[in-house]
Amino acid sequence: MSKLNKDVSQKDVVQAVVVAEYFGNEFAPITNDTPLALLPLLNVPLIEYTLEFLSLGGIEETFLFCCSNVDTIKQHIKKSIEKSAGWSLTMQVRVIVSESCRSFGDCLRDLDAKGLIRSDFVLLEPGIVGNIKLLPILKKHVDICKADKGAAMTLVLQEAGVGQKGRCLYEELLLVATTNYRVLLHQKLGVSKKRKIEVPLEMIMDNSSVNIYHNLKDTHLAICSASVLPLFSDNFDFQTKDDFVRGLLMNEEILGSTIYWHRISGSEYAAAVTNWRMYQSISRDILHRWLYPLVPDMGISSQHRNYVHLQNNIYRSKDVHLTQNSSLIEDVIIGSGTSVADKTNVSRSIIGESVKIGKNVVIEDSYVFSNTVIKDHCDIKHSVIGHDCVIEPQCKITQACILGDGVKLHKKTVIENELIQSQKPKDELLTNKLNEKAYKLKIQNCSTEISDSEEDGLLSRKLLRLHIHEEDVPSDDESFKSTDSEDELSYTTSPVPDDTNLFLNEVIDSLARGFEDKLQCDNLILEINSSRYAYNVTVKEVNFNVVKAILTLPFQLFVGQAYLQSLRLLLVYFSPILTNYLRNVSAMGDCLQAIEEFASTNNELNECVAAVLNWFYDKDYLSEEVILDWFSSIDSNTRFYARVQPFTNWLQQAEEASSSGDE
Amino acid sequence: MLETELVDVINLISDIRHGKVYTSYDVAIHTEQLIEKLISEGQWNTAEDLMVLIKARINRIMSALPQESTPVNIMRHILKIIRELYDTGFKYKSEGQQSLHHLITSNVDNAEDYSKPLPSLRSSLLDHLAEYKTGLELSTDNIATQALEHIHADEIILTVGKSNTVEKFLKHAAEKRKFQVIVVEAAPLYHGHEMAINLTKSNIQTTVIPDSAVFAMMSRVNKVIIGTHTVMANGGLRAACGVHMVALAAKRYSVPIMVLAHMYKLSPLHLCYEQDAFNICASPADVLPYSSGPIINKVHVYNPVFDYVPPDLVTLFISHQGGNAPSYVYRLLSELYDPNDNEI
Repeated sequence: MSKLNKDVSQKDVVQAVVVAEYFGNEFAPITNDTPLALLPLLNVPLIEYTLEFLSLGGIEETFLFCCSNVDTIKQHIKKSIEKSAGWSLTMQVRVIVSESCRSFGDCLRDLDAKGLIRSDFVLLEPGIVGNIKLLPILKKHVDICKADKGAAMTLVLQEAGVGQKGRCLYEELLLVATTNYRVLLHQKLGVSKKRKIEVPLEMIMDNSSVNIYHNLKDTHLAICSASVLPLFSDNFDFQTKDDFVRGLLMNEEILGSTIYWHRISGSEYAAAVTNWRMYQSISRDILHRWLYPLVPDMGISSQHRNYVHLQNNIYRSKDVHLTQNSSLIEDVIIGSGTSVADKTNVSRSIIGESVKIGKNVVIEDSYVFSNTVIKDHCDIKHSVIGHDCVIEPQCKITQACILGDGVKLHKKTVIENELIQSQKPKDELLTNKLNEKAYKLKIQNCSTEISDSEEDGLLSRKLLRLHIHEEDVPSDDESFKSTDSEDELSYTTSPVPDDTNLFLNEVIDSLARGFEDKLQCDNLILEINSSRYAYNVTVKEVNFNVVKAILTLPFQLFVGQAYLQSLRLLLVYFSPILTNYLRNVSAMGDCLQAIEEFASTNNELNECVAAVLNWFYDKDYLSEEVILDWFSSIDSNTRFYARVQPFTNWLQQAEEASSSGDE
Repeated sequence: MLETELVDVINLISDIRHGKVYTSYDVAIHTEQLIEKLISEGQWNTAEDLMVLIKARINRIMSALPQESTPVNIMRHILKIIRELYDTGFKYKSEGQQSLHHLITSNVDNAEDYSKPLPSLRSSLLDHLAEYKTGLELSTDNIATQALEHIHADEIILTVGKSNTVEKFLKHAAEKRKFQVIVVEAAPLYHGHEMAINLTKSNIQTTVIPDSAVFAMMSRVNKVIIGTHTVMANGGLRAACGVHMVALAAKRYSVPIMVLAHMYKLSPLHLCYEQDAFNICASPADVLPYSSGPIINKVHVYNPVFDYVPPDLVTLFISHQGGNAPSYVYRLLSELYDPNDNEI
């Protein structure tokens, strides 16, 4: 009987639920007037991407869940259907309104109460774009459900290499799963400030094989069994999908539900616009055609093609007015009716429709929405400028400024890292008036003023998120580097110099201890070698740092004594180490470089460098040719050169003398 | 023209975009069905009405799918049939084949009047369409039957990627003769692998080579036989990416290149018609996976779908009517399409 039911349910229409409401004001002030669903992404409302993706993915009926700005969204949907947008032909879209919902979880509870969903469905969080074929994943989910009655959800995740912009810092994901894709642990690392991840021992003991992933990106897309909605209803503390996943995994025994995951591969791509940083990286990914066939030149959901794809991923609408001297550099999309005047440079930016850009303007890594006017000599970098703004000449807008719709900026305004909106905000205290049409939304460092209440905590985190490219301000070309290096899980290969620095400190410590405790040099060599492997430094760096460490030691061990004498003492003591490392010509070069570098920053050594070199030469650690060779490469204007010169002169004379002596 | 009236063509566009209609043969059949339905059920009285209806559909497809030439070509051909039937219906011109001289000298600009109702037009058009449809269905077989004229015993044939027409052509030849086929795998989609598997099922000795080995292998090849996406008006090809390289290698070794092309692949457009939209780039994922890490942030990856192959690299076109040289394409075009319909 149940089998019969299952077969019947498979014949049902394939349904998807899109929660179009983004609970939070991450996108303020842009989203004051426009709902997130209609936020332009490459000049097309975000919702069009979502719907077209669902239609291409094989979905036949979509429930669009809205809580605010309902009329705008409804109108938009109606207009799209009239224009026979691609999705409207194969998919039915039903807008569900529930203005009382305050969270993602509320929406699903409401949906459960309405009883519209009967079978498995695709659940989308707000702002998803993608090009995944959904039917195979749905089928896989059905198969899993047959084998495991408790299967509630299949998370759809995409592999994204470490250090990629498409990975959202706040959504760093650690996933522990069995080999048959059952999720055991699902943790968003960005949200928790923990430095360590604890994986319960049972997780590994109970399963013959467990995979731990840190190379996945959450697409915010999930295939759900019909049991998901009642689960949301039963547990009213589930606010988000992540809550749901966490709750289910924690109480797996109690609730009896399991979660699986699916990895999308090949040319499939999906991501969700959850913050400005993601907005930026998704824009870039679409310009780079990862979302093919949903790319601007194919006309996302519309039947008409407005854009032409040119070299360097430049997308130009057909009626754009460009002057001869203006240049579009790379990753640019320019909407129809826009004009760009002389000597204006645009790179890595999105320019909306009917935008007027004056002369000598520089626009980099920015997003300019429709009908905005930017006058001459403006500088716009790393910023978002809303619809219908007017920027008077010589304004400078940099460092993650976000201008809401209809903002007007006076001449020569300079703003950095601000949220600006055109209406006067209700909260007078935190306001800073620029002019009648521009109000600063929040004081820059309000996060320090705010102490405890939860709401304010949210506020400060939000502001943090908005500093999308703080760290890249000095560099122009390599904008928007990932900030991952600050993360404790720094997979962006924590910078090499740090490692060598650590290594140097370690060597200094070892040598100092070795000298004080009169340890055998052989043991010290062993110690140095093991730290070499620990910090993964090259042989060259080892040679360099060992010599440098010895040169530094007198300051640590013999404070206040004459440098040369103490150094000599040390050199004699450590000579077995030197013999060990300074074996060949290139090692000698490294040694000389260490001396040169250290002497350039250190006066004591600089003064006695000739004596030190002489000692090295006498003991045969350095050969004559190497010294002369190295000397010829030194800049002859430095003081260091003058110090070394007498010694090399002597060397040359000695050589001539000896060669003539041979004759 | 209102959206509701164009719903048939909008559905076709949607099906093509969703990949429900994939091969050019399927596209051709669907287009023919669309036109047949339009003629039998559409709201039109005169030839002119019908031509307006068809032209609206052509425009729609051209703006929505500029790279898809097959439906447009078929509709253009239907326009030509309508004109001819109308003319013969009113006996404006003598029946039979027009002379070459007449084709060249005939005044393109004379806007003829197609507004007179011709009651027999609907039925005669449907007859013609039925004939055209059988022609479409048999086109692949007709091309395949010519295989023995071109493939001789113990020859080495090189082909690129996968083409249903080429596959049938080779299989037909294999029934009588023994020869060897080298299949270029055609990265990054590797359709060549599928092709090779299909060929080996018919006991054809098949070798798969990577794209990079084409030049090295070309010296041993007797003939290159490929399919194409479109034949441009100058005899050049819009073919799968990688074919240009093969064609250049073949030219270097003076190996003849034969292109199997159905008549509906002949387009009256030149390369310069809309040069920027000539090619499309697919997702870079096939070239550089998304999981590659930070390099994704730093590079532009292009994954073009098509290659333009200039006409001088093509030796022969083989259609269901037989072989034609690229220089003869203009003549085929004037047989297929009316010069008034080149610009719509």
